[in-house]
Amino acid sequence: MKSRTRIPTTPLLMILPSFLLAMSIIGYPILDLAWTSMQEVSRFGKMMGFIGLANFAEVFRDPLFYSSLVRTLIWTVAVVGGTLIMSLPIAIMLNDDFHGRGLARVIVMLPWAISLTMTAVLWRWSLNGRAGLINATLMDFHIITEPIEWLATAPLAFTVEILVGILVSIPFTTTIFLGGLSSLPQDSYEAAVVDGAKPWELFRYITLPLMKPFINIAIVLNVIYVFNSLPIIWVMTEGGPANGTDILVTYLYKLAFRFGQLGKASAISLIMFFVLFVFTIAYVLMVMRQEHDSTAEEVKNDA
Amino acid sequence: MTFSIRKAMAASALAVGMAWAGSPAYAKTQVNFTVAEYSSKTGPYFEEVAAAFEKENPDIHINIQVVPWDTLLQRLTTDIAGGQAPDISIVGTRWLVDFASQGIAEPVDSYLTPEFKSTFIDTFMAPSVIDGKTMGLPVAASARAMLVNTDLLEKAGAKAPANWDEFYTTAEKLKALPDTFAFGLQGKEIETDAYFYYSLWTHGGDILKGDGTSGLDTPEALQAVTLYKKMIDEGLTQPSPTNYTREDVFNLFKQGKVGMVFTFPMLIPQIKAEAPNLKYKVLPFPEGKARATYGVTDTLMLFSSSQVKKEAWKFIEFAYKDEWRTKFDHGEGFLPVTKNVAAEKYYSSDPDIAGFAAGLPYAKFAPTIANWEEIADTTVRALQQIYLGQAKPDEALKAAAADINKIRSK
Repeated sequence: MKSRTRIPTTPLLMILPSFLLAMSIIGYPILDLAWTSMQEVSRFGKMMGFIGLANFAEVFRDPLFYSSLVRTLIWTVAVVGGTLIMSLPIAIMLNDDFHGRGLARVIVMLPWAISLTMTAVLWRWSLNGRAGLINATLMDFHIITEPIEWLATAPLAFTVEILVGILVSIPFTTTIFLGGLSSLPQDSYEAAVVDGAKPWELFRYITLPLMKPFINIAIVLNVIYVFNSLPIIWVMTEGGPANGTDILVTYLYKLAFRFGQLGKASAISLIMFFVLFVFTIAYVLMVMRQEHDSTAEEVKNDA
Repeated sequence: MTFSIRKAMAASALAVGMAWAGSPAYAKTQVNFTVAEYSSKTGPYFEEVAAAFEKENPDIHINIQVVPWDTLLQRLTTDIAGGQAPDISIVGTRWLVDFASQGIAEPVDSYLTPEFKSTFIDTFMAPSVIDGKTMGLPVAASARAMLVNTDLLEKAGAKAPANWDEFYTTAEKLKALPDTFAFGLQGKEIETDAYFYYSLWTHGGDILKGDGTSGLDTPEALQAVTLYKKMIDEGLTQPSPTNYTREDVFNLFKQGKVGMVFTFPMLIPQIKAEAPNLKYKVLPFPEGKARATYGVTDTLMLFSSSQVKKEAWKFIEFAYKDEWRTKFDHGEGFLPVTKNVAAEKYYSSDPDIAGFAAGLPYAKFAPTIANWEEIADTTVRALQQIYLGQAKPDEALKAAAADINKIRSK
């Protein structure tokens, strides 16, 4: 008990150099960003003087900021949620031994090898109303009679973009889950099977609880990647039509590099950083508390 | 004493000799030139000009960076912010005000000899003049026009329209043909606003009113957009224009699926290469209250931060020699910006180029005002809302005009 409360200094000293390095690499840009966000910045990035929180005030007066924020939340929840729901069954299937498993694993991982921008360009072409492969295929199979203009209206375009987002997030998430599945203890399964547990019960009461840490890490990492992901939406619709598919990062990109409002853009990206930071800390704390509670319970049960 | 001087002289002579022999890094002055990529020919063309220039001026090295149009402004923004601005660059003339007002563009009046100045066509020189100072030289120019598919017109028994009423009736006749869209209307991404300005100007409206406020809340603008909206609703355009970029609309035209489009001269070489059997004709935009076309120029800009302005200017003068301009304009399909090239027979005898050049006397240019990109984006947003039926034309235009006036602080 004593050893737990004492603060161990040697390990802390050992991680100190890499901690300092990380802080200077991660910390400096953030400080610079914070500084920029409180400056009046010219069209071409020259600092014109300190203006306090005026950039932030302008962001909070902007209706497009709020609609982009809401859409960012929908985008993140839908893509991460969809990815998790898709990836876990895929990972379980790929974990089973079957003929051609190696090939199946390669096929699932392949999208990862292609850059996000390229994937988005391919989808943009495939979804083209008149010349696209998707419409041609659907019409050949007589599923539709008239071509569908997938990216013409915001709701449909955004849905399609979310689906593409899920598709490109699956390989990474599946990899995490596969790693987790292969580390699960086989004896608990065997014991459960002996006790007459059905496959669904095996999944519900053994796989899912044991996979929890892996699911948690998949959630945190995916939220960070997806929240910040520019290429899919930018390539397919540039946030249009009529800003109907803009999320914060595409809106930010437009502000910074099209309109040259670098001060306002810095303010938004600082807000984005803050949102992610709060989410990550809150989530990690929540997970740690849960784990702590459950281990405490186990200890009690053992006693 | 004499000995040491002689020794020093010998050493410096040796150094000079070595520099000549081939260590360019020490003796050559480097001029950094950012080139916008118009087509795959642009990079090789400027490399060729630079090589010819370096042959005559061995002490100057021209370092060419080819950047695609889509990322040019972003690239220049980050270069300038990082203190790595080039010495000269091709920029969109519509950005020039922003560059000039921030003191990034160098006025070139003091370099511009009257003789050199007289080689340019005045119409194209004018957009680069801001507050009486010449902030750059026109480097490329194009005017827009209407392209009609003459085969389709013949089949439909319609004649090529000269005004908007005829345009509408021709569209109705074209619609009757199977698998054909009458009018290709752009509704997505770059220049969606330009496609509307064609209609705005010919209806007698303008981007800005005389007092500098937005012209979107005028009856002319409403008339211009209502016509497009009506054509969408009646199926006279391809369905869902908001899914069609400029290139998508042009592709439909190349495939012979659309009867009429509004376009730029650069489409002609594409048609010749990709759809050589397509029969088409270049015509002026339909007339309403006024005749108009959209004149677009790009500017060659000298950076005020440059340390080698003299050398850079020497190269600029070299690159504007007739032989180089002819090669550039023909290769890229641009209209000439210099008088000598414009006088070539090619520009009056070639019916396609002549069709585009015909509009120049009454060409309108995008106003040289600050925050142009943001104003264009506001306009595009309103247009998309109207095309999609999300907003009523008059309300969307009024809201956009108010936004634009706010951006312009009017």
